[in-house]
Amino acid sequence: MIERQTIETDILIIGGGTAGCMAAVEVKEKFPQYKVTILEKAHIDRSGCLAGGMNAINAYLNKGETPESFVRYVRSDSCGLIREDLVKSMSELFEYCVKKVEKWGLPILSDENGDYVPRGRWNIKINGESLKPILAKAARSAGAKVYNWITVTNLLTEGERVTGAVGFSLRNGKLYVVNAKAVLIATGGAAGLYRPNNAGDASHKTWYSPYNTGAGYAMGIRAGAEMTSYEMRYVALRTKDAIAPTGTIALGAGAPQVNAKGERFMVSRYADIGGDGAPTPYRAHGPIQEIKAGRGPVYLDTRGISAEKVTDLKKAYLDMYPSQVLYWLANDIDPGAEPVEVQTTEPYIVGGHCQSGYWVDVDRRTTLKGLYAAGDVAGGAPFKFVSGCWAEGVLAARAMGSDIERMEEKVLVSEERIAAEERRAFGPFENHAKMKHGIKSSELESRLQKIMEQYAGGASTYYEMNEEMLAIARKKLADLPQEVSGLVAEDLHQLMKAHEVIDRIDVAQVLVEHMAYRKETRWPTYHTRTDYPERDDVNWLKFVNSVRDPQSGKIVLMTRPYEQLVPGDRYKP
Amino acid sequence: MPVWIDPDKCNGCHSSRQPPCLRMCPGDLIVKDHSVNKAYLKYPEDCWDCLPCIKVCPEEAIEFHLSYQFGSREATLAPHIHKDRDFITWDAVDVRGKKETFTIRTKVMKIALDEQVEDSEQGLDFSI
Ligand SMILES: Cc1cc2nc3c(=O)[nH]c(=O)nc-3n(C[C@H](O)[C@H](O)[C@H](O)COP(=O)(O)OP(=O)(O)OC[C@H]3O[C@@H](n4cnc5c(N)ncnc54)[C@H](O)[C@@H]3O)c2cc1C
Ligand code: SF4
Ligand code: SF4
Repeated sequence: MIERQTIETDILIIGGGTAGCMAAVEVKEKFPQYKVTILEKAHIDRSGCLAGGMNAINAYLNKGETPESFVRYVRSDSCGLIREDLVKSMSELFEYCVKKVEKWGLPILSDENGDYVPRGRWNIKINGESLKPILAKAARSAGAKVYNWITVTNLLTEGERVTGAVGFSLRNGKLYVVNAKAVLIATGGAAGLYRPNNAGDASHKTWYSPYNTGAGYAMGIRAGAEMTSYEMRYVALRTKDAIAPTGTIALGAGAPQVNAKGERFMVSRYADIGGDGAPTPYRAHGPIQEIKAGRGPVYLDTRGISAEKVTDLKKAYLDMYPSQVLYWLANDIDPGAEPVEVQTTEPYIVGGHCQSGYWVDVDRRTTLKGLYAAGDVAGGAPFKFVSGCWAEGVLAARAMGSDIERMEEKVLVSEERIAAEERRAFGPFENHAKMKHGIKSSELESRLQKIMEQYAGGASTYYEMNEEMLAIARKKLADLPQEVSGLVAEDLHQLMKAHEVIDRIDVAQVLVEHMAYRKETRWPTYHTRTDYPERDDVNWLKFVNSVRDPQSGKIVLMTRPYEQLVPGDRYKP
Repeated sequence: MPVWIDPDKCNGCHSSRQPPCLRMCPGDLIVKDHSVNKAYLKYPEDCWDCLPCIKVCPEEAIEFHLSYQFGSREATLAPHIHKDRDFITWDAVDVRGKKETFTIRTKVMKIALDEQVEDSEQGLDFSI
């Protein structure tokens, strides 16, 4: 018998990360009468993307920039197609959010005039080693109730309305049932859909948090929420092996990309779209083409930067990604004397860098009543980074607060629905007791990653795909949902791991349908269709969206129109 | 093994049921073996190298080494939080034994030795 704990709240936040913590504070400040509950899979002090720290806020309107100039930049960086309403609305709140977090204690570098020190056009420098504990403390002090170690497994729905969520505790094994008037999903993006860059004891040496496994996407998919742009995957250019962000080097030290022959290939081959400043997908696509053509490895040319710059670089990594510094120490590398080798990552689904995620309105309402989305899990608005995730948390908080003011009664779901979710959530646990040859989550993970890697545009095929490959991926993935019924978990940690794979299977199926549906190549490498190698504005200047029918399980694809709000050439920043 | 808890230095945070290293790991990878009163990294293959575990250990009992596949295990990187909690100093030792230090501003938040203390401060019932 599984013990149950039922929690009544006004607002439930799933995922106490960057967006979730900020949303909690905003609700408590603007609507103090409402009870806010956070369910977090780990401990909010050090969970999610920010666990290791941050060294910059990558989306900020530095002096002279406006929401319009930001929209123009993000639009061209995303190859002419974004939700301009979403990008504009988040940029209007960057300053509001950053000032708040500075007040809570985050050290931000300022110059003698009190202006923040830019690091590139849209970035400011911070000492963000403790950014996550700072946010967590703010959320707690504001009065949000935090439940750590709860892996949320599903939303509760009644008709078209989301009424709460269910999860289990990693610590006491209880089933947590939360009834709420409004639910914010803020669980971040998805790593681990494809084979990671490294193996063995470094298989989780990924760039994106390996513990963000697409739970929020999967819950929405299962509940029938409309999703957008999964085909715009994120393939990141990162340092070789350590997989650390390269913006720190490119922006911080002004280092350009060069190939094995020392050629600045972005300048020689991609001059027409901006050279070293080409849209982000091209800055991953360019180096891959060099390697494919036998001109690899590819480097960021840091040679000749001053000793002081090298120290700054190391300090910047210590604030965000310390293992990069250890890598240099262990391999006797001085980035001032030799260039830094780079590589591209496994494809991630991250709505904060690209735009895969929930289809939301400008107030971050999803298509399901009572459900809101913010941060990497929300779609349509790339270039979010930490500040955009905060801004979306604020927008969602304000919408939730004012929406529930008009709501009379909480809707409660039936006991059968909760019991069904209890069986689903604890299934792998029960299997362990009765199955001799059960499937371990690591085995199912390998099977999923093998399919995605080989047939759905993984790194080993240079991220390329065509109709036929995707058809094989679709067919092979179709077998996996049945396999889930044979998953075993011997303890609560393994049960969490089982759900991480279950969620990724649901996400992968939707991803493959999206990649098959968009018959053009708008974002090379993110989505390289060898059978449709060109961008096609006549037919595809629109969003690819999907809904999985909760009854039949069928994934239905559709398109939504693009709306240009900020005038100008869509391909010029 | 990227992160290694030195059993000679770890004191299990005394009677803590859930010591800070265990609570701050975003992947839930560290376990305390109550029979010997020491913590260990149970799932090294799942480690992200993000280091909250190291930063919060009051005994500085946790070491950080590179996964051997990436290079020498001899180099080390160790953060030390200053008493005022406004600075962090990193001791970096390279493969040849050369030491360098980096001191950086920060704002470290206090953390209790055990989860129950934290939960009771919040008035949460979190009986384990
Ligand atoms: C290594 C790295 C470095 C970066 N550096 C920078 C930088 O310097 N500057 C910058 O601006 N941006 C940076 N970014 C991007 C930025 O950090 C992210 O876009 C942003 O933090 C995402 O916020 P989020 O709230 O969507 O997700 P997160 O902050 O990751 O929060 C998601 C939360 O949901 C929880 N969760 C997940 N699944 C469940 C579940 N099933 N049940 C309950 N809870 C769950 C997670 O534990 C986590 O706490 C970086 C990202 C990474 C990965
Ligand atoms: S925090 Fe340090 S001393 Fe305490 S249990 Fe963990 S490793 Fe041991
Ligand atoms: S480095 Fe990060 S993932 Fe690894 S054990 Fe420490 S806290 Fe956990």
